Amino acid sequence: MANEIQRTDVTWSRSAATHLLWRSGFGASIDEIQQATQDGLDKTLDRLLSPPAETAEFRKADALLRQAAFDSGNIADLKTWWLHRMTASANPLVEKLTLLWHNHFSTSNAKVDSIPLMAAQNDLLRRESLGSFRRVLHGMASDVAMLIWLDSNSNRKRHPNENFAREVMELFSLGVGNYSEHDIQEAARAFTGWHVRDGEFWFNAIQHDTGEKVVFTKRGNFDGGDIVELCLDHPACPRFLAFKLLRQFVEPSPSKEHIDALAARIRQHNFEWRLILRELFSSRLFFAESSRLSIIKSPVELLLGAVRQLQAKPNLQSLARLSAELGQDIFEPPTVKGWDGGRLWISSTTLIQRANFATALTKSNQHGSISFAGLRVEDDVNYFVELLLARDVGPDAVAELRQFTNNQTGDPENRLRSLVQFVMQMPEYQLT
Amino acid sequence: MTTRREFLKQFGAASLVSLGAMPPSFLARAAAATEAKPDERILVLVQLAGGNDGLNTVVPFGRDEYYRARPGVGIGMDAVLKLNGELGLHPAMDGFQKLFDEGWLSVIQGVGYPNPDRSHFRSMDIWQSAKPEKDDVSNGWLGRALDSTVEQHVGKVPGLAFGTDKLPLSLVASKINVPTVRDVKGYQLQLGPGNESALKAHKQSLERIASRDAMAGSDLDFLRRTARMAWSSAEQLKQISASYKPATAYPGNALGQKLRTVAEIISSDLSTRMYFVHLDGFDTHSQQANAHQALLTELSSAITAFVGDLKGHGLADRVLVATFSEFGRRVAENGSLGTDHGAASQMFVISPKCKGGIVGAHPSLTDLDDGDLKFHTDFRSVYATLLDHWLSIPSAPVLGGAFRPVEFV
Repeated sequence: MANEIQRTDVTWSRSAATHLLWRSGFGASIDEIQQATQDGLDKTLDRLLSPPAETAEFRKADALLRQAAFDSGNIADLKTWWLHRMTASANPLVEKLTLLWHNHFSTSNAKVDSIPLMAAQNDLLRRESLGSFRRVLHGMASDVAMLIWLDSNSNRKRHPNENFAREVMELFSLGVGNYSEHDIQEAARAFTGWHVRDGEFWFNAIQHDTGEKVVFTKRGNFDGGDIVELCLDHPACPRFLAFKLLRQFVEPSPSKEHIDALAARIRQHNFEWRLILRELFSSRLFFAESSRLSIIKSPVELLLGAVRQLQAKPNLQSLARLSAELGQDIFEPPTVKGWDGGRLWISSTTLIQRANFATALTKSNQHGSISFAGLRVEDDVNYFVELLLARDVGPDAVAELRQFTNNQTGDPENRLRSLVQFVMQMPEYQLT
Repeated sequence: MTTRREFLKQFGAASLVSLGAMPPSFLARAAAATEAKPDERILVLVQLAGGNDGLNTVVPFGRDEYYRARPGVGIGMDAVLKLNGELGLHPAMDGFQKLFDEGWLSVIQGVGYPNPDRSHFRSMDIWQSAKPEKDDVSNGWLGRALDSTVEQHVGKVPGLAFGTDKLPLSLVASKINVPTVRDVKGYQLQLGPGNESALKAHKQSLERIASRDAMAGSDLDFLRRTARMAWSSAEQLKQISASYKPATAYPGNALGQKLRTVAEIISSDLSTRMYFVHLDGFDTHSQQANAHQALLTELSSAITAFVGDLKGHGLADRVLVATFSEFGRRVAENGSLGTDHGAASQMFVISPKCKGGIVGAHPSLTDLDDGDLKFHTDFRSVYATLLDHWLSIPSAPVLGGAFRPVEFV
């Protein structure tokens, strides 16, 4: 099945372009979809993978929001800063990857309690989002927020604390079942003395165990950096990353064949994301029918997707709060395991809240404002079904939508708002 | 079957005075409720998340071994609320002591399962899936019970997880999507301004759209089923009386407030038969005395108020409350005045219909399994009893085999 990662022979179309933009970013406006449809796959990938410079307007807003968070010391402001990047950046893939790795290296400000440290970790994830996983994993081993999060200061020569060593293997690089408890105990010794002092990484030589360790049956005077390399060399590592990547970008339950095929490319490209992602985003697998509209949107994808699809003027503070209520509180994930995702995003409570978000966005200004002034379309039902659902919903649903829209009273603008509200409340809208 | 005399006795003189203020229809309903048919019986499952320290909940104060193993965190003999000559409740549980004296509280001793897992996640999955030997978390034991009686639940809300966003595994079914309600107020589909008929048409339109068939088991199918259940349960919860008057005062704690709403829903005849609520924070590794005292106060005061309220509304005979936790804690305390993850522990069952008393022997404090109490009663035996003898749902297909019933109901 290795040919699943081979180049797609899909006929480039508006639907293929929509699929690529939705998965690689947070929703897409009609203009962005038209541009990508016109440009074709390669040119669109060039733009996604070799990001253009941000506009002056974006950079100004970005700097202001970040400064506001540093000044206030309030994590809510840092959430606003990041949501602004996700919404308005010219490089949505970079932000989507940063969010993926934030979940992978799940660290919460609830314990770290520092805007600069959370921002610094976020910067590292963003800097390497199209760079190298090798550098990210090494970076995390001395990332101050991470070291605080996993109690590294209590990892001392005579009393090793296994927290970080365990998570490096279980959650960051290999997954359960690919190491022994003994490997963790030995790896913990290698990380002894990797401490934090005055808000900075500090190699506390006195507390570092310089003795011989045995990890994955290899023997040596390993230090933390050696352990990271041993994890990267482990055959389970590319498979673990392939699983994460496929679940984010391709399908909710990746098969072993797909995992192995992508893992081979990850190893081949030595963890260099730009090369790996170009292959993934132009693969047969990515564009396969079974991959389309198969992933349940996370709260951030749902909320920002709507904002971008409808070119709304968002209220980012209230969207950050709503996202948290829906289960995705960025910078404050629930545990070191991060968000489970998939069907676990959905319960009757969150589904009602998701439907109520559609009402709030279209009928009030609570989460932002939208306008359809100047919108001229021949067939409004088809237009919004395609823009918001990107699927053929069948003749009976179209008839239902037409009847619903025709029954709406008030001005044409109100009619459109009701139509959009309704389409966003269809269960189909939860899928991307 | 409750006789009229027993019915009156239950209310007691004081209750009868307050009943005088109730409308006659209420009294009629109260009287009828005591003749509950099996399919009107309700189970309220209370999860004690984190691993409750059973030994400091029902204290074996008559055993020296207890005090030897727990010189720092042990509950003094004088402080425990005695249930008999050797067992007593934690001093925070005076409500439970009264329930015990009335014969409404059964303490089932030594409950667990073979090869206990000391991971919170895994052990909780085991308790909720009721499949200790399989790593299968696709559904839970109450969910399978609902699946096996699916034809009875058409158009109803057969189960409800209350006070949470995430559906607990216990209630995950294959054929039914059990709703979760964080709070009743926020649990309403908002459609914006518009006259009543327009909003009704909107809702009906959505229901038709979400009622179309999708490939069985697909995410779209899951979303449509969840949406339908969400909208219809929200509609039904809207009907519950805003003027509900509890018959007893509830404590202000979170569990008390959740159970108050559960009582409100039960009193409004929603036909829901399974409720799930949880109380979190039992992972008491260090300095456990104050935290554990607060948790047990919450547990005891909330449940005592709940059953008192149900009693006042003539509903108590229909309801049984059961508690469970993923594990007990080690017999010996640790070095930081706390206790670490253990194994077997007790379960509480509370109802006027249960037999009351201590069920089963206290596990030995010296013959231990790697420092933990040994179980003698499989938790699936308790589940089987709840299914067969309380909910009247055959347990063997749900639990994948026959389990010896436990004598508590």
